[in-house]
Amino acid sequence: MKVWDAFVRVAHWTLVGCVIAAWFTRDAVHEALGYAALAVVALRIAWGFIGPRYARFGQFVCSPSQTLDYARAVAAGRAPRYLGHNPLGGWMILALLATAGLAAASGWLSVTDRYWGVAWVQEAHALLADALVLLALLHVAGVAHASLRHGENLVRAMLTGWKAAPRRGDLE
Amino acid sequence: MRQLNEAALLAALMAAAAAAHATGAATCDSGPQSAWQAQEKLAAQLKEKGWEVRRIKVDGGCYEVYATDDKGKRVEEYFHPVSLAPVPKGAKNHKG
Repeated sequence: MKVWDAFVRVAHWTLVGCVIAAWFTRDAVHEALGYAALAVVALRIAWGFIGPRYARFGQFVCSPSQTLDYARAVAAGRAPRYLGHNPLGGWMILALLATAGLAAASGWLSVTDRYWGVAWVQEAHALLADALVLLALLHVAGVAHASLRHGENLVRAMLTGWKAAPRRGDLE
Repeated sequence: MRQLNEAALLAALMAAAAAAHATGAATCDSGPQSAWQAQEKLAAQLKEKGWEVRRIKVDGGCYEVYATDDKGKRVEEYFHPVSLAPVPKGAKNHKG
């Protein structure tokens, strides 16, 4: 079943590429990667309101209590399979988009004439970048866990867009 | 197990990225900080040249300066903390 549309997939891997490449670069290349990342984040946020079903925030952002229930189910080893994002995954998407967006925006601010060399802007940028890598590692751990739990390669799903057809007990 | 291998590969790549993250564009062989000249002196010298110094911090044993130069252009330059001589970007253990 097709779950992830082409825009979501291209945006995902473009952002992955930008973040990894930005970590290793400086100056003009680093800045260009940051602007590209910011554009991807902005477009992905817009797509979260106008995109197809499984791209929408309304589809995958769950209430705190639902998310907590799901976290308990994960801890107990009886997490249900979700066709789109699971509740923890949904919140992770928001956290990653927010952190990537703020990291890029603070980087942009740090090369404006007004905020050039301003310590708090530089510190905020470094902190946000570190937080982004930490969240990305957690995201990969979550993907690995859900992949193993449900016998489904979610990395490949983000490449092809396809996930296994709905089964008994699956949730949206 | 394929999923696990791919996830492990991704995690390893990210860990490598974290380890390789360099903090600065240059490093200085500058000895103990007690022998360094004051940041204020460097700031005063640069102000003399018409620079507006925004921030000086220690990076890789060098003074890293964020400033705008006499033409108002944003500059990020490294200086040796003992000699206060400019350090070219990419220099390793610059002796000043």
